[in-house]
Amino acid sequence: MLGSVFAKTLRDLRRGFLWWSVGLVGMAALMVSVYPAVRGNAALNKLVQDYPTALKGFFGFGGELDYTSPSGYLGIELFSLVVPLLLLIAAIAAGSSAIAGEEDRGTLELLLSLPISRPRVVLEKFSALVVESTALGLVLWLSLWVGARAVGMHIAAARLAAATAGAVALAVAYGAIALLVGCATGRRGLAIGLTAAAAVAAYLVNSLAPLVTSLESAQKLSPFYHYAAGNPLRTGLAPGHFLILVAIAAVAAAAAALVVRRRDLVV
Amino acid sequence: MPAVLRVERLTKSYGSSRGIVDVTFDVAEGEVFGFLGSNGAGKTTTIRLLLDLIRPTSGRVEVLGLEPSREGVELRRRVGYVPGDLRLYERMTGLELLRYFARLRGMIGLGDTAELVDRFEAEIHRPIRALSKGNRQKLGLVQAFMHRPGLLILDEPTLGLDPLVQQTFNELLRGVTADGRTVFLSSHMLGEVQRVADRVAVVREGRITLLETVETLRTRAFMRVEVTFAAPPAADAFAGLGGIRELRRQGASVLFAVEGPVDPLVKALALHRVLTIEAREADLEDVFLSLYRLEDAPHVG
Repeated sequence: MLGSVFAKTLRDLRRGFLWWSVGLVGMAALMVSVYPAVRGNAALNKLVQDYPTALKGFFGFGGELDYTSPSGYLGIELFSLVVPLLLLIAAIAAGSSAIAGEEDRGTLELLLSLPISRPRVVLEKFSALVVESTALGLVLWLSLWVGARAVGMHIAAARLAAATAGAVALAVAYGAIALLVGCATGRRGLAIGLTAAAAVAAYLVNSLAPLVTSLESAQKLSPFYHYAAGNPLRTGLAPGHFLILVAIAAVAAAAAALVVRRRDLVV
Repeated sequence: MPAVLRVERLTKSYGSSRGIVDVTFDVAEGEVFGFLGSNGAGKTTTIRLLLDLIRPTSGRVEVLGLEPSREGVELRRRVGYVPGDLRLYERMTGLELLRYFARLRGMIGLGDTAELVDRFEAEIHRPIRALSKGNRQKLGLVQAFMHRPGLLILDEPTLGLDPLVQQTFNELLRGVTADGRTVFLSSHMLGEVQRVADRVAVVREGRITLLETVETLRTRAFMRVEVTFAAPPAADAFAGLGGIRELRRQGASVLFAVEGPVDPLVKALALHRVLTIEAREADLEDVFLSLYRLEDAPHVG
């Protein structure tokens, strides 16, 4: 059962959530409104097809390169980079401030002097992170769906939901990693830095793997691979890949709750 | 009386010289225990060990019969705590903060909050970021006392409070001990502690250097007598008097320290023409300082 720490953390995230939502809605509206100009423009498609293979790895989503189709357009313009980037930033911010942020500000001492166990604090804060990321996903999904209908872009709500759910799971996984680093070290800056570096590395590994043979085996270790694998925008949710992301999040969050138990408060 | 706090050879080592070494003491139920030392002496480290905020390198701690590392949640339920470096949620108002803590303590309602807020005239409707140090400290005190804990652990609780509020705080402590509850009071100011404490421990560089009842310390206190003579007395005029020491001479005026009966001094003074006598009961500060000097001696060389 979730309690007061969960509620307070959600409350603290509220203000940021509003601005993230404004950003996501604006971005979705902008990208979707441009689509009618792209649709049926074969020349654009030719342009994309002619890009060097090195670049295709970066902007394709799940291998889809049909820029004029709804799923190809949304994949290339939004889901290959911008959507995971925004959701990751929000989740890493929440994950790093959960414990390490309170420790930096000095408020954790009084919180931990209350009759609540540390794992409980961690899990309530992690739950708030999951709720925030999911809510951002809902906002994104809804604005894309409404936008697509408005401009006559034919993409099923379930397909949009599948891709968005993947992005949320990816963000939650990195949020949990930031939470874990923060719980282990008590340092918020380190939690942000390490997690961001890990995310960039995983993104590069996944994007460069088609080009660099030595990275091929490493690709499946990258969460970004499991995020895009099976192209959810075209084929719907790929449960296996989705569950891998969920598992990463769960393991990192559980580890966070365990490491923070053993550690001295940083003062 | 049963011990509410039992600390045995408690040691916390950090890489550097910080930390505490072999700290041992007991605090009995209903007692106000003063924990004295300068900043960085190890007071806060000891307190954080009591609450399971940090873990000891070695030694044993028992708080209300509970072991911090295994029964921390139950232990903290029964303790009220004011941290030495009080940091509160800046965006909350005092009332929101107190409600939050009350919920986390599993309280129904706000306990003694209303009465405490009245007594301290605490500001609870403005955001904490807009509050002065003193007003924040009041909130720190209210949250520590609101659930009527059996043990209060207070780390420099009156820091930033004006003298009137300090008085309110002292009255509150008296009420607490009248209920048979226990107070562990850390401070760097002896004056603050001697008014309310039954016993004091002095911690220096991570070790307890003195553990004594305030009563005993008082009997070791000496009276200061300042005498102004018509003419400066001979240098050895008061040598060899039992319990009498000359602390200072300034022209025809001499300051004596009197331990025990004042009679030998009075008899000796009778041989001189005395203009004024001023006698002051020494407070613990003097004892304390003289003990500190003795302690210091080996270090200074």
